[in-house]
Amino acid sequence: MKIAVCIKRTPDSESRFKIAASQTAIDEAGLKFDIDDFASYAVEVALQLNEKQGPGETVVYAVGPDPVQETLRKAMSMGADRAVQLKTDATPYDGMAVAKALAAELKSGGYDLVLFGKHAFDTSGGIVGTATAELLGIPCVTAATKLEIANGRGTARRELEGAAETVEFPLPAAVTIDEGIARPRYPSLKGIMAAKKKPLETKPAQLGAARVTVKSMDLPPERPAGRIIGEGVAAVPELVRLLQTEAKVL
Amino acid sequence: MANVLVFAETRGTALRKTALEAVTAARAFADATGGGEVHALVAGPSGVGAAASQLGQYGADVVLVAENPALEKFDRESIAATVAARAQSGNYRAIMLGFSAQGRDVGPRVAAKLDLPIVTDVTDIQASGDAIVVKHPGYANKVIATLQISGPSAVIAIRPSAVTAAPSAKAGKVETISLAAEPSASKVVVKEVIEGGKGKIDLGEAPVIVSGGRGLKAPENFKLVEDLAAAFGNAAVGATRAVTDDGWRPHSDQIGQTGRQVSPQLYVAVGISGAIQHLAGMRSSKTIVAINKDKEAPIFKVADYGIVGDVMEILPALTAAVKEAKAHH
Amino acid sequence: MAASNAFFAFVLTLSAGFFALNVQRLVRYMNLGVSEDRTDHPFERLKNVLTIGIAQTKIFRDPVAGTMHAFIFWGFMVLTAGTVEILIQGVFSGFSFALLLPKPLYQLYGLSQDGFAGLVIVAIAFALYRRLVLHPKRLEGDKLEHTDALIILSMIGGLMVTLLLTNACQFVLNPDTIGPEKILSRQVASVVGVLDPSPTILVSVFWWMHALLILTFLNYLPYSKHLHVVTSLINVYLSNTSGPGQKGVMRNMDLEADVEQFGASDVENLTWKNLLDGYSCTECGRCTAACPANITGKLLSPRKIVINTRQRLMEKAPLVTSDHMEFLRPALIHGEGGDAGATTAAEVLEHRLLDTYITEEELWACTSCRACVQECPVSIDQLDIINQMRRYLVLSESRFPEEIQPAFESLERNGSPWAFSPGDRAKWADGMDIPTMAEATARGDRPDILFWVGCMGSFDDRAKKITVAFARILKAAGINFAILGQEEHCHGDPARRMGNEYLYQMLAKDTIGTLDRYEVKTIVTSCPHCFHQMGNEFPQFGGDYEVIHHSTFIERLLQDDRLPLNTEEGKRLTLAYHDSCYLGRYNDIYEAPRETLRRALPVVEILEPKRTKDRGLCCGAGGGRMWMEERTGKRINAERTEELLATGAETIAVACPFCMTMISDGVKAADSSVPVLDIAEVVERQLIS
Repeated sequence: MKIAVCIKRTPDSESRFKIAASQTAIDEAGLKFDIDDFASYAVEVALQLNEKQGPGETVVYAVGPDPVQETLRKAMSMGADRAVQLKTDATPYDGMAVAKALAAELKSGGYDLVLFGKHAFDTSGGIVGTATAELLGIPCVTAATKLEIANGRGTARRELEGAAETVEFPLPAAVTIDEGIARPRYPSLKGIMAAKKKPLETKPAQLGAARVTVKSMDLPPERPAGRIIGEGVAAVPELVRLLQTEAKVL
Repeated sequence: MANVLVFAETRGTALRKTALEAVTAARAFADATGGGEVHALVAGPSGVGAAASQLGQYGADVVLVAENPALEKFDRESIAATVAARAQSGNYRAIMLGFSAQGRDVGPRVAAKLDLPIVTDVTDIQASGDAIVVKHPGYANKVIATLQISGPSAVIAIRPSAVTAAPSAKAGKVETISLAAEPSASKVVVKEVIEGGKGKIDLGEAPVIVSGGRGLKAPENFKLVEDLAAAFGNAAVGATRAVTDDGWRPHSDQIGQTGRQVSPQLYVAVGISGAIQHLAGMRSSKTIVAINKDKEAPIFKVADYGIVGDVMEILPALTAAVKEAKAHH
Repeated sequence: MAASNAFFAFVLTLSAGFFALNVQRLVRYMNLGVSEDRTDHPFERLKNVLTIGIAQTKIFRDPVAGTMHAFIFWGFMVLTAGTVEILIQGVFSGFSFALLLPKPLYQLYGLSQDGFAGLVIVAIAFALYRRLVLHPKRLEGDKLEHTDALIILSMIGGLMVTLLLTNACQFVLNPDTIGPEKILSRQVASVVGVLDPSPTILVSVFWWMHALLILTFLNYLPYSKHLHVVTSLINVYLSNTSGPGQKGVMRNMDLEADVEQFGASDVENLTWKNLLDGYSCTECGRCTAACPANITGKLLSPRKIVINTRQRLMEKAPLVTSDHMEFLRPALIHGEGGDAGATTAAEVLEHRLLDTYITEEELWACTSCRACVQECPVSIDQLDIINQMRRYLVLSESRFPEEIQPAFESLERNGSPWAFSPGDRAKWADGMDIPTMAEATARGDRPDILFWVGCMGSFDDRAKKITVAFARILKAAGINFAILGQEEHCHGDPARRMGNEYLYQMLAKDTIGTLDRYEVKTIVTSCPHCFHQMGNEFPQFGGDYEVIHHSTFIERLLQDDRLPLNTEEGKRLTLAYHDSCYLGRYNDIYEAPRETLRRALPVVEILEPKRTKDRGLCCGAGGGRMWMEERTGKRINAERTEELLATGAETIAVACPFCMTMISDGVKAADSSVPVLDIAEVVERQLIS
């Protein structure tokens, strides 16, 4: 199958974040970046599908300035065959703008499957995948936790709140990938070496207008320090009293 | 004066909590921008129209009902088409919906169809001159982004439980509409819906969660956690990764970085040490109570109230006290 | 020259020739391995031959079996002279060393031959008794190994007996030929004389039996585990496991090299030295008996690793070298884990050392404690083979226990094997007024010492207490020190131990860059893994620093009276100290921690667990196992903790944050409340504030 995977370069999720002087972004000093977690599951799904189903091609796409090339190389070191950078000066926060750039590029790709992560760690929008699919006019499954492809049709499972649904759809289609579906493989040194020679194409991104902009970024308010109110069973009445009167949750 | 269109999500014929929250948010926004109308759109199988009165109570001036037996199972394509068609014909300042699993599917489709900007997982909505300004947590809830949306209209998907549904009775006049697309033409077809345990409150919906960890020592002791949850009446039972990995509780109960992220009103952590991965799943709960025998346990650093002691003794006492407190209300 | 001489000359030439061909064959097989240079430090290497080899120092670690073997080995060396004499006599009947040596020396020589023949017989008798009656666990090999051992023991016994009988017969025929120094031979002669007063035929029979046994034995060697007779001293010379230089340093790897694969999956990827190790293994099992993984029921057996290497070489090499000389499938190929049962050449070539012989499970079970290397009497480096194969698994196939992938990813993204925020690294130092190198440098200060905290010490709740205790000690002693703070990140040792050399080199080189930027000269650390890595392995990449472990550092402070300690005679305290593998077996630091404890607590009584110092049992966390699940057998830390608790000590002391975690867990699991303290904590409690 010819599979496209759209990935994003995001900072490591364990980091402590500080706000940059501009107040409209985080301070990137000292941060480590990598393929966004959900996007890396999507890459793994693509690689596994092509391994199972015989010869195919996995192509990774990313929108962003040049540092994103490192992220594309990482995807190729996992096994993607080639990469395309849709170059911008800065990756817009506006998911719809990004979706337009991807749709413009993917239209002519002839892909059987286009995969995305469910959402990206930084913007946490969950917009790009489903919007791009809609712009391409192909069916979309949002947040799949299971995916199987056979004979030009796909079956996927989606978690709902307290339930799950199984859906079927024809190819070509887009799927955004939720976690739990696959564990992204660790690139071998062999893969890392090979990735250096795989083709990486750069083109300008045809972004839509950015109608959503960051007015400010702030750290959430500090949670006030809690307290240990007592020991053992004796502390229970006090806890109940506090829950009723102070926290007002009882 | 700004009118707001709300997609009110249902499951079968029952309204979901996010629908009421979305209507509440729409009502507040409309009132804050010159008192426009809130139009709530419900799409579902026959009988879903009965939900209309409830939507009216929460602030909908008009309730657009699209009843179609083919909607026994959720059909995102026809529903998105219907919302988009209605938005196209109306003049809505904003289209609001809950950012639930199905909301994730509908929202971006509507925005793409109408070439509208979209923001999701929103916790606060304000009008600011010509623009709409929303708050949206990013970076795994570690950073709050304040976003400005320009243009005449936008799709806004609201984080479930971020807005508390509040009654604000309006006419709720019912208007019957038809689906803008045939469900039979949809490409993505629902084959099966697998229900979670019947009668179990979903972790994402429960206002109170009682969660257990390794400190309970044995799977049988989870009964004490369940008893406490039952005493609260509206509580769900959660678990840490340690005990779900060991098979004491199902994986769907796991709260944490790789499990469910929850923000209930009250989170009671029983026998949970407070590893970072677990905290990532419940840190944003309104009130956190921790019960653990180790007073150095990291959970006490994030808990509002903590009790140090033997969970086996404290839980039954707490359960009794909660039952007593509830009985007097 | 009589006909018998000519015949013997013919037999001798044939045997010698056959033996030489076999030796050449084995050398050719060995050279299938990667080349490496072991020509350095000839004098140190010779010293090892004299101590480990000739003086049998490692063999004597088992005193009973050691004595037995020493007799046989020394006997073998001494009797070789006699063997040479006999073989020459076979061709030139009149030959004797008496023609070359002055009489007293010749008599001494005669005494040595007789004496050692007797000692060897006693040793062989005991060896047979041990093997057949006592059944020691570590000799529980397979049937083939047993048969091999019995053949060898019988042959040696036979050689001694036939030697004495030959001498005895000669004495009976002509008493002048056997001097009075040959006491044993004469004793035997008195019995022979009674049975056959004129043993003219017997003397030839016994002589030919002896000579033919020698030649048979010689040519049996290449097909037996007894090949070690030929290779062991050579192996000890060429080995690095007891020096020259620092031991326990993992071999470097050139990751820029244009190679087909990284790491070892089959015998030709190992070096010729690894293959020579394979030849030298006597299957004594001392390594496996000391292996913490094997002791607790895991599949790993260091002996099996080495034997499998030999077996695979013998399976593959004949095909690869187009060896037409392979008369018999050598017994070397069968036995423990071997005989992968290939019936065609194609199958043999499809097989490889990895998977067909040595499984992933075995390779990942290793804690790199070095007990196997420590015990091996012929200086085999089992750990080297394991490490090279781990590198192959990770670098070439990305095959490793899935639970270590988060550790690799976290190391890459976070600079720590655990998912902690790098911003939290120096939180332990809040309020302690400790400058970072950056702060000190900005002020124009030059700290004398860098206190390297390590990831455990920075993030783990329990280990942070050790860090604070040691920092307080440094302050109390007025040391001018600084920390790297948030500029510190893992030096990559866990990645290297787990086979991920690529990730390791990235982290190590970056760390060296930071250290050099601050012109750091001296580093003190409380973690033995950090200590070993930065002190002993960083030089591979140009990082040369004086690195001191905190136990040594505190000992020095105490020796120099730089710490104000409360030396009031308190209650007598019993304490068991657990030796850390990376301090002990890797760096020979056994006394410093004990001395520190004694100086800090004058009334302490240090109780030693059953397995202690260089025989100490590992806590189970080394070799990257801290990040792996233990799924088979008994938990290693439980085994070790039981041993420590069995001393009855009131406290357990450790000097490593990994050991702290494992032993503390072990104590909890044993439902005990014996406190586990780090050396720094013991000392800090005694500080007069």
